[in-house]
Amino acid sequence: MRVLWSWLVEYVRTPEPLDPSAWAERFPMLGLGVDAVERTGDDWIFDLETTTNRPDWMGIVGIAREVAAAAGGELVLPSSEVVEEGPPVNEVAVVEIADPRLCHRYVGRVVVDVRVGPSPRWMAERLERCGIRSINNVVDVTNYVMLELGQPLHAFDLDRLAGQRVVVRSARAGEQLVTLDGVERVLPEGALVIADAVRPVALGGIMGGADTEIRPDTCRVLLESAWFNPVAVRRTARALGLRTEGSARHERGGDPERVQAAARRAAELLRTLCGGRVLRGELDAYPHPSPPRTVRLRPDRLRRVLGAEIPTEVAADLLRRLGFDFQSQGDALLVRVPSHRRDVEREEDLIEEVARLWGYDRIPETMPVGALGVGHLPEDLLLERELRDVLLRAGLTEVFTLSLIHPRDLDRIGLPSEHPLRRAPKLLNPLTEEHTHLRTTLVPSLLEVLRTNRTRGVADVHVFEIGRVFGSREGGWEERKVVGIARIGRVLQGRWNLPPEAVETSFYHLKGAVEAVFEALHISDVSLTPEAAPWLHPYRSAAIWLGDQRIGWMGEVHPEVAERFDLRGRAYVAELELAPLLRGARPAQLRPVPRYPAVERDLSVVLPQDVPAGAVEQEIRRVGGPFLEACEVFDVYTGPQVPEGHRSLAFSLRFRAPDRTLAAEEVEGVLQEIRAALRERFGARIRGA
Amino acid sequence: MSVRTSIEEQLKTLEQEAKEAIARAQTLEAVEEVRRVYLGRRGRLTLLLRTLADLPPDERARAGAALNEAKNRLLTRLNARAQEVRQAVLDARLRSEAIDITLPGRRPLPGRPHILGRTIHQILEIFRSMGFEVVEGPEIETEEFNFHRLNIPDDHPARDMQDSFYLDRVHLLRTQVTAVDVRVLPGRRPPVRVVSVGRCYRRDALDATHAPVFHQVDGFVVDEGVRFSDLKGVLSQFAREMWGPGSRTRFQPSYFPFTEPSAELAVYFGDRWLEIGGCGMFHPKVLEMAGWDPERYTAFAFGLGIERPAMVRYGIPDIRLFWENDLRVLAQF
Repeated sequence: MRVLWSWLVEYVRTPEPLDPSAWAERFPMLGLGVDAVERTGDDWIFDLETTTNRPDWMGIVGIAREVAAAAGGELVLPSSEVVEEGPPVNEVAVVEIADPRLCHRYVGRVVVDVRVGPSPRWMAERLERCGIRSINNVVDVTNYVMLELGQPLHAFDLDRLAGQRVVVRSARAGEQLVTLDGVERVLPEGALVIADAVRPVALGGIMGGADTEIRPDTCRVLLESAWFNPVAVRRTARALGLRTEGSARHERGGDPERVQAAARRAAELLRTLCGGRVLRGELDAYPHPSPPRTVRLRPDRLRRVLGAEIPTEVAADLLRRLGFDFQSQGDALLVRVPSHRRDVEREEDLIEEVARLWGYDRIPETMPVGALGVGHLPEDLLLERELRDVLLRAGLTEVFTLSLIHPRDLDRIGLPSEHPLRRAPKLLNPLTEEHTHLRTTLVPSLLEVLRTNRTRGVADVHVFEIGRVFGSREGGWEERKVVGIARIGRVLQGRWNLPPEAVETSFYHLKGAVEAVFEALHISDVSLTPEAAPWLHPYRSAAIWLGDQRIGWMGEVHPEVAERFDLRGRAYVAELELAPLLRGARPAQLRPVPRYPAVERDLSVVLPQDVPAGAVEQEIRRVGGPFLEACEVFDVYTGPQVPEGHRSLAFSLRFRAPDRTLAAEEVEGVLQEIRAALRERFGARIRGA
Repeated sequence: MSVRTSIEEQLKTLEQEAKEAIARAQTLEAVEEVRRVYLGRRGRLTLLLRTLADLPPDERARAGAALNEAKNRLLTRLNARAQEVRQAVLDARLRSEAIDITLPGRRPLPGRPHILGRTIHQILEIFRSMGFEVVEGPEIETEEFNFHRLNIPDDHPARDMQDSFYLDRVHLLRTQVTAVDVRVLPGRRPPVRVVSVGRCYRRDALDATHAPVFHQVDGFVVDEGVRFSDLKGVLSQFAREMWGPGSRTRFQPSYFPFTEPSAELAVYFGDRWLEIGGCGMFHPKVLEMAGWDPERYTAFAFGLGIERPAMVRYGIPDIRLFWENDLRVLAQF
């Protein structure tokens, strides 16, 4: 809402002149946000942001009322005098509200013998400074009064209205209208229209029709001032994708008194500025007049709710300045709400009015009294934090990616059409082409992070995200949290003289990060199976199981998928469901630190290539029994000394008894059993034995 | 007479030679060799000692004492030399192990929290320290909780401000975390202090200042006697914790369907006022819908943006930087 200062001050009388430069700061303290301030010559234009609950602020007089109240001045309303002559208006025109749900009040006035021409300069200038183009004196008067009082008006050429009649009704199927902007519109059934005896002539409250508009030869004008149902205006405007100064005002709701006052004001201006004669009386369709509203205010509650000691007389005075009347009723005030403040419905609304005008900045700062609560973070959020910390410590950077995707993103990770992750919830009303669905997996977003960084020359990208993914199922939607990890490039700084396998990310670096998660949450029941999700390398990937539930995937990105993300070099990605992880988490429990020394032995075996190290380890642990404390692979070797199709695995074993020092012979006995078991089970050959 | 003179002279010469030999020894082996030659079982001094038996008893004692003293002097000297040589050998070895300390250090690449993640964490910790309970709610909401329970009926003009993404006729992506408040409200007993952080969605195209997905922190306090001044106190305290003890806050009248009175909260940062969110006393209708008697209980509520304060705080000019995850940006925080 653009407010011209020189225009505004015409309506405010104060002992001291108002200082516009100070008002840039004061407007916001009344709830009128200042979007911009322009200085033109010795005048000021304030671009004010008005809240949707205040239709009265859509007119300069409404703003002036606030200024007068805040400055302790007086509001001077524009004159409501109108000089009438000639025959009664109801002899020349008829106004009818066919559907009272669409229109609360409709006031028509007729002005005859107008001479259409340019507006006086002062008026054209004011309009233009407020952002409205000057058209002709008649249309300009309607716009001027709209800016002044906030009430939109429309001027019809009465002689072009069939039957000199206007009817407020809803559009019938197939009806059409060419609006003022020259667009021929098919009206949605039920749209709010103004019709004459035959056809629609205007979109009520939004825009007039071209057929009945004011032309140079117009001489009889029917002025419309109405309170249309805000919802009806809004629906019609949305359905047609048409928003105007008028519709913006109507959508906020109306004021029955203002409807009448605006019609009088515009008629009088047409008389004085366009040479017209205002016919006697007005056409006032007001089927169900709104009764004035009364709201009780308990000054004691006002003080209690605000936490400010505002004396009752002060509160009463502030309300009076804003145009509220009141009388005392015991300790309470019975407040009569003026028609321009139909937003005030309950006591809380009055409390806000008092607080606003008294000044939010004068309300003290206190801390809530009463029982002191103890801050609380639920278990799952605590664990989620723990998880985040582990991943950060593992050298992964946290990322945030948009939760909106396009099915194309799922194509890129190679999801077949019937894959469960294809069931992405679809937005009914997407805004852009690339954000049409909710994500079902973090994988494409994380690979996109790798791509973005790689494209920009960042070679080493190790990231994670903890976020929500979505799905649709029979009869509803689901959302759950997952954690995703993606890695590419080197894992170490200072790589000089190090062999590449120690420096470049591998499946095992990804696995290490996943293991760190399980370790931190003290989850032990984890297993891997060699399986691939569609986006993974079929022979370098694993399904992750917690008990008998598959909770995720990890592995090298399938080369075709990597190519679609412009990733040269091997990339790795993992995704795990959060809920089962958090359910499986156990609190840390101290195990006694061993008191007796350990016996360490190395064991080196040659096995067929396809025996997994994990299976060998499992067997060693099984046979090794309770004294085998640790078993770790420390060398994997294929080469000249190992037969074709075989590899050598070397394990370092640590034996320990909790209650005594193990004898070398005991350990040797167990080692013998282990060797025998490996020979028998896997056909292993023991090296160096 | 001549024998005695002879022993003493021999001793003198011998000691002199031994001293020179010790001084010449460059290795531990050489030192040991000197020890063997002079003090060993068949060493020269040892042999000289044996000749004492030929002396008359009165001279034997004196010569014996002189010999023992010479022996002790040599032993001391030998040990000292051995220590010197050991030190020299160690020095030489350590010198040969010299490294280039200017080569780069080795370390795993560091992980960094995202700016939004860090900010969210910070905010939650502050509210937790003020006795708030952290809760979460769904991002796919119903109109019931996202609008109706917040006193936003169908066709309310406020719906224009927050044009929403719909999934079907009743489900939409929540436009404000405040929806969580009205989910939590009915099930609690006062006093309640709850805070929630999460993603919200609005139909905005991604540009420098808008994103279709953004974050909000939302909270409320319900009890008997909760005041607007408490709202000011709690949020000002929050601002001081967040932006430093000198932070100033500004509360300006505003309008939200679910609060009355309503306020816009701004914080003075750098050299200007930064609007960070909305707040107010819960509208009595909101409390009524949640099954609370607004005559008995009052509540304040607030909803603050995460992105905008983070942008100002860290000098981030474009909201898209949050979503691009350029490591050259993230590594700076």
